[in-house]
Amino acid sequence: MSNVYDFPGGIYPPERKQRSNQSALIQAPLPGRVILTLQQHSGQPATPCVAPGDEVKVGSVIAKREGMICSDLHASISGTVSEVGTTQITIDGDGQDNWERLPSLDWQRAEPSALLERLNESGIVGLGGAGFPTHIKARVVERHAIHTLVINAAECEPYITADDLTLRHHANEVLEGAQIVAKLCGAQHIMIGIEDNKPDAIKALKHALSNYQPINIELKVIPTRYPSGGERQLIKRLLNLDVPSGGLPADVGVLCHNPGTLLAILHAVRDGQPLVSRVVTLTGEAITQPGNRWVRLGTSVRELLEQAGLNTPELHQVIQGGPMMGSPLLTLDTPVTKLTNCLIAATLNELPPPPAESPCIRCGECESVCPVALLPQQLHWYARAQDDAKLERYHLFDCIECGACSYVCPSHIPLVVDYREAKSRIRLQRIEAVKAEHAKHRFEFRQARLAREEAEKQARKQARQAQQRRSSTSAAASSEKVDLRGLRIAHAAAKASVKKAEKTLARVAQEDPKQSLDDLEMQLATAQENLKAAELQLAQAREQQSSEESP
Amino acid sequence: MSMMHASGVKDAITATSVPPTASLMRWVIAATLPGIATMSYFFGLGIISNVLLAAAFGVALEAAVLRLRQRPIRVKLNDSSALLTGVLLGASLPPASPWWLIGVGMIAAIVVAKQLYGGLGHNPFNPAMVGYALLLVSFPTYMTLWAPPQELLPNDLWAQIAGTLPTAQLDSLSGATPLDAFKHKGEAVLASEFWAASPLPDGTLSAWRWVALAWLAGGAVLLAKRIISWHIPVAMLGSVLLLATLFYLSDPSHFASPLFHLLTGATLFGAFFIATDPVSAATSQRGKLLYGAGIGALVMIIRTFGGYPDAVAFAVLLMNLCVPLLDLYSVPRPTGQQKASPGKPGEQP
Ligand code: SF4
Ligand code: SF4
Repeated sequence: MSNVYDFPGGIYPPERKQRSNQSALIQAPLPGRVILTLQQHSGQPATPCVAPGDEVKVGSVIAKREGMICSDLHASISGTVSEVGTTQITIDGDGQDNWERLPSLDWQRAEPSALLERLNESGIVGLGGAGFPTHIKARVVERHAIHTLVINAAECEPYITADDLTLRHHANEVLEGAQIVAKLCGAQHIMIGIEDNKPDAIKALKHALSNYQPINIELKVIPTRYPSGGERQLIKRLLNLDVPSGGLPADVGVLCHNPGTLLAILHAVRDGQPLVSRVVTLTGEAITQPGNRWVRLGTSVRELLEQAGLNTPELHQVIQGGPMMGSPLLTLDTPVTKLTNCLIAATLNELPPPPAESPCIRCGECESVCPVALLPQQLHWYARAQDDAKLERYHLFDCIECGACSYVCPSHIPLVVDYREAKSRIRLQRIEAVKAEHAKHRFEFRQARLAREEAEKQARKQARQAQQRRSSTSAAASSEKVDLRGLRIAHAAAKASVKKAEKTLARVAQEDPKQSLDDLEMQLATAQENLKAAELQLAQAREQQSSEESP
Repeated sequence: MSMMHASGVKDAITATSVPPTASLMRWVIAATLPGIATMSYFFGLGIISNVLLAAAFGVALEAAVLRLRQRPIRVKLNDSSALLTGVLLGASLPPASPWWLIGVGMIAAIVVAKQLYGGLGHNPFNPAMVGYALLLVSFPTYMTLWAPPQELLPNDLWAQIAGTLPTAQLDSLSGATPLDAFKHKGEAVLASEFWAASPLPDGTLSAWRWVALAWLAGGAVLLAKRIISWHIPVAMLGSVLLLATLFYLSDPSHFASPLFHLLTGATLFGAFFIATDPVSAATSQRGKLLYGAGIGALVMIIRTFGGYPDAVAFAVLLMNLCVPLLDLYSVPRPTGQQKASPGKPGEQP
């Protein structure tokens, strides 16, 4: 309980965690069929690599990563692929639960590149909410020096207890996962931020901490207040660092992971087990057996809730995520994804629809709770007036959509809904504006591809010639002077532009997971094509030179 | 599925914690009760008739305009804001003001200042103070009809409310308020001489003090219940106190004491019930501090150098005018909006 710092604002919604934190973490029954959506993370959807009729085991890759911000997808049950759609893959189970695992890695000894590759092929994404691919996040160290890894165990949303239960049952493993990440990013400290409303998890952590830990881990218990689980808020609380607006925690040398992700990382590295299941909190007054379950990805929400004793006539709505930031499900016939941390089957009494909205009386309540120190009342005004210049001026894009302002508004104005709408409207406009740019980038990409193909052709030709030369031993070397130096420079430049494009893409995607990234992915692909062409040319030139020197 | 309304995210999830707007308004109304009770104890039942009449006018006018604007009457009236405007204007008028005076004031407040601008939430000026200011400049005689404490007989009371009291008798009713008296004491009269002459009927000064304390009590409740934030009252009272002290120290023989400014007239009433009207006040916390301080300063300037003895209404209206400007220049800096200071960890390796 040592020194913790403060962020502005915040609220104290009723917790309602005791409903799901009483029972132990158990396995949900193996589903007979799963539906795995191709988009289980921010960025591009994965591309299917199986066909109907294929036999799969648990852990078989069924969709491949395409583009940078993307993630592999694995079968979560063993059986037969029955359908490959444009957005999802259906697998009918055989009830056998046969696994296909990767070889286990000793993280203490393994090369960082091997660890990164393992994260990449395990399809791990941040399990806290935004679903950013973990292998991309792990590569942050290429651009930033990281001094602290923060384990975000605050879990400040009412109702959700997934991290709480994960820690109670797997504290040791979560800490080991943290060691892996800390090693990968070169962090010297690990800090756990946890709210004081999880005494059992804290006890479990303290117990686990008494074991030997290669990198020292500090446990910080912070007072319960929403939204201290927000990355920026937590970093402020623990380290008194302000993540710059439009930046990432890495900008202040911090990396954040939630316990579930760390556990998944350990499973991937130690057991060779890709991400095929996750902990889901099942709660709400409309089910009789609330609690936390290990759920295979792709399990139907309806099935899961019915197993938990769903009282259908009482059910008013099901919310995926927490009551503050989650969203209502339109249908129960939807599968669990890597992002499903909580399902609240709420009765009408429990989460009633808000009363009718009345005009803003500018009381300023919203301002006093905003953790980012924005002026929600002004944003509201300008969002309704669609005054985008003013929205920028009042920093709309700094809003973390925590909903604290809507929560306290005495006029029941759905402020955060307004902001989401305004943001996506403005984003759309920006996309319109870059359409022309996009066309240009498409053209550039084509050029780059042609250049690469040409270079490949040249390389093949060269190889043939070299072969001939060697066999005929004729000294008819090409007369062209090889500009090796120029090519080397071009190669280095191409490499740098790939790096830069990757960096921009990773930053934009991580900062704002809802952004459309096509154009950036295209620019990256262009840069990569250019790099390939440059590499080929360089190799070719080297070859030529060496053959000239030693005929 | 039938019970899953396809209402999307709009079917918002959160229940709110703060009492809804309507009950905020009702809390403010409740908090005026000690002030109103104390005033009627000292100045007679006329105060209560004022409040009741103004409140009735408020609700009736609001309903009428909503009807004309074809808005849902019941829902809107439910927010109690018209009622509150009536209570506040009624409590500011001299005891037993004639009904038509109250009516004119409330028309200015509800119809002009509020509904013509689009109703609750859209009015740039404090409606009650618009009504009050209009009456003050249009009917100065009636607005100074502060009967000496407890002198109005029930008969006269009725006649005055009905507007049938003969003018001669009206004059005899008129008694100065302390601010008024002090204001018109004349240049040559020193403050000490003024007080020595006991210029006010017995008990007037202490009556005003008790009333001020009653408003303070109501305000304290609002603060304690977090119905209003502390920023405006503290800033306003602070600046009144500061300027009054400066004036007083510069020339105690001509300027009234800080305590006098604080405890007479509408200073405390204004600080807790008028200036804090959220709709027409500055919106950010910083803005509110500036706004309150501005009102306090204007109150002192108008009282000392202007033509009107009390100045809360004008000060509030003038600062209402400044709100857009204050809002523009008091935007807080969001967290993370500064440049990351160099030397912090996390730079390029
Ligand atoms: S809390 Fe609601 S009513 Fe109050 S200022 Fe904010 S938006 Fe307006
Ligand atoms: S939703 Fe946005 S504006 Fe509202 S409190 Fe949270 S950060 Fe502030």
